[in-house]
Amino acid sequence: MLLLNIIVRYFFIMTIIELRKFIDFLIERDYLVWTPVKKDNFVNYERLNGSDNFQFIGEAPFYSFKNFLVPCEETLFNYKKDELTEIDNSKDQVIFGINPVDLKALVLLNHIFEKDPWYQGRMKKTLIIGQSLIPKEPEHNIFHYKYEEDVLEHLQFDIFIEVQKGVFNTKYFFYTGSEKGQKILDEYGYSEYENIQFAGPIKEEGQDKNMIKYRDSLKNNYKKELWEKDLGTKCIECGKCSAICPTCFCFDIKDQPDLKNGAGERKRTLSSCFYSDFSEISGKYKFLNNTAERIYFWYYHKFVKIPDEFSIPGCVGCGRCAKVCPVGINIFKVLSELDNNEESIQDTIS
Amino acid sequence: MKNQYKTQLVKILKIEEEGSESKLFTIKAPKDFKFKGGQFIQVSLPGFGEAPFSICSDPNQKKSFEICARKTGVLTSELHKIKKGESVGIRGPYGAPFPIKLVEKRDLLLVAGGLGIEPLRPIILEILNNRKKYQKVQLLYGACEEKDLLFSGEYEKWRSGLEFFLTLDKPKDISGNLPKKWKCQTGVVTDLFDRAKIYRNAVAFLCGPPVMYKFVIKKLKELEFKDEDIYLSLERRMHCGVGVCNHCAVGSFSVCKDGPVFSWERIKDIRGAI
Ligand SMILES: Cc1cc2nc3c(=O)[nH]c(=O)nc-3n(C[C@H](O)[C@H](O)[C@H](O)COP(=O)(O)OP(=O)(O)OC[C@H]3O[C@@H](n4cnc5c(N)ncnc54)[C@H](O)[C@@H]3O)c2cc1C
Ligand code: SF4
Ligand code: SF4
Ligand code: FES
Repeated sequence: MLLLNIIVRYFFIMTIIELRKFIDFLIERDYLVWTPVKKDNFVNYERLNGSDNFQFIGEAPFYSFKNFLVPCEETLFNYKKDELTEIDNSKDQVIFGINPVDLKALVLLNHIFEKDPWYQGRMKKTLIIGQSLIPKEPEHNIFHYKYEEDVLEHLQFDIFIEVQKGVFNTKYFFYTGSEKGQKILDEYGYSEYENIQFAGPIKEEGQDKNMIKYRDSLKNNYKKELWEKDLGTKCIECGKCSAICPTCFCFDIKDQPDLKNGAGERKRTLSSCFYSDFSEISGKYKFLNNTAERIYFWYYHKFVKIPDEFSIPGCVGCGRCAKVCPVGINIFKVLSELDNNEESIQDTIS
Repeated sequence: MKNQYKTQLVKILKIEEEGSESKLFTIKAPKDFKFKGGQFIQVSLPGFGEAPFSICSDPNQKKSFEICARKTGVLTSELHKIKKGESVGIRGPYGAPFPIKLVEKRDLLLVAGGLGIEPLRPIILEILNNRKKYQKVQLLYGACEEKDLLFSGEYEKWRSGLEFFLTLDKPKDISGNLPKKWKCQTGVVTDLFDRAKIYRNAVAFLCGPPVMYKFVIKKLKELEFKDEDIYLSLERRMHCGVGVCNHCAVGSFSVCKDGPVFSWERIKDIRGAI
């Protein structure tokens, strides 16, 4: 019976041709479909207008999905004199093919923006479609995550596609993680999916071991040399690492007046704790006074504050920050330094 | 879904000058508006942004509440141009208040530096209005100059119900004398610790700039105050006010949500907390 089941299932599993048909269906439904595309050796999200030649890319896209859900800049309200009118910026979109490493970042953003009407509005209209290929470059998976079926109940998605490479062809298993995901597959006329119930971000075996290790180190063992001599003198505070990081979400809220008198927009813009005015209050007084304090604050947020608040790591190890840093600061090396109990200071530059 | 960032328009009922650079705004309270001393609101002036202000009035007063704003920059300058009868947007109240329940049974030491008197005023007024409910209370308040003194019209009333010690950093006139009417001395607020006989086993509520905390906490520790009996209000840059934007982070806390009032016990080990 079980064998029969497996055989039957096997025949109904999608092939690449069927997967492309599903993509065409989404495009026809007027969704903006974003997916990682490789061009001239550069992988990045692009809008799909058709499914021709579509393949899942087993490499990390340069940018993550972050800005589809948390744009660099968005209008929250229009105002006229004293009146604020809430603006809805959401549109129907599909983020197609988020890898399991980046999906961990989505779990975090979902927590952070749990009560945020703009994020939630956008999520309502967004189909999150994950896929199982872990980035093959080790520097884009610094915590060595593996794809195993049991990670799915700790990730959030509408649909998740497991890519199974066979000898003759590749097959695609479908899982759903929400009613929205089931609905769209039902409408498409595909029913061979398995539904996964989200069991929260923390695995049965308990909190992430790396998270506990780095939290302890940052909290209880301040490495003066590392922060003040090494990183504090090398980082040029460009903020690129914040911009590219899928879990960096700190923001400003600012008003932008129109030319018309008394009207304008209240905007949210992604910010960075590397910018010198991040902590500034009136009288130019700052709480983060130098580069060392700022870069420590950045690491502390990811490896202590977020773990304390949500019991999950604030870094998924995608390695993007190391890739963009103009002075070569490499998070992997910084973390090994944190893990190193001797006060010896190695160069944390790659 | 409920929008946390949406402001409510409220009418300004009264505006008074407080000291030389501040104005006290009496604002009509929205329906069901309740707050406790130490909490703050975000004031919104479209075109000029939003900024946090401590609510500084008597929490028992239900129809209106007060904020006292010093003119220091873009938003506060605009706020100072507002006229009686006009409206501002607000959201809140936000944050954790001073634990006033705790001092129904214990003596209380209030220490304020500069604008730090603002979030402590609701505590003072609550105590004066329900004097029997509370124990012995001392207030040490230090300001820079005479012109910086806030709520000076109320000092006689304050003196009637609590031990009030006042000091100014800089004397006013050329002769170096302070006007007698303030019954105050020269020096910084920590100097008052030598004047006042501080009650042992009291709870301390502090509000002032970071330098004040360094010195006051040192004094309190000399007097054997326990870390969990010292409460202080932190100031940080704020944007969201609801624990998301991370501008106000102190260690693993967000000052807007977990604070602004913290016990020293909770934050003493955090680098850069004060
Ligand atoms: C919990 C809390 C309670 C406060 N209570 C009072 C009070 O009762 N009375 C009073 O006069 N002041 C109070 N302040 C300080 C007041 O918020 C600032 O003076 C005000 O934000 C200055 O705004 P501005 O636009 O006039 O100044 P600018 O210097 O022009 O400000 C420019 C930018 O800096 C930001 N900014 C500057 N200072 C602060 C600050 N301290 N906190 C947050 N953001 C800041 C603003 O968001 C603005 O975008 C309080 C601050 C906090 C954190
Ligand atoms: S901190 Fe660096 S490695 Fe970690 S999630 Fe952000 S970009 Fe990726
Ligand atoms: S990218 Fe590198 S130099 Fe730029 S802020 Fe980040 S750590 Fe500093
Ligand atoms: S003001 Fe945004 S987190 Fe506190």
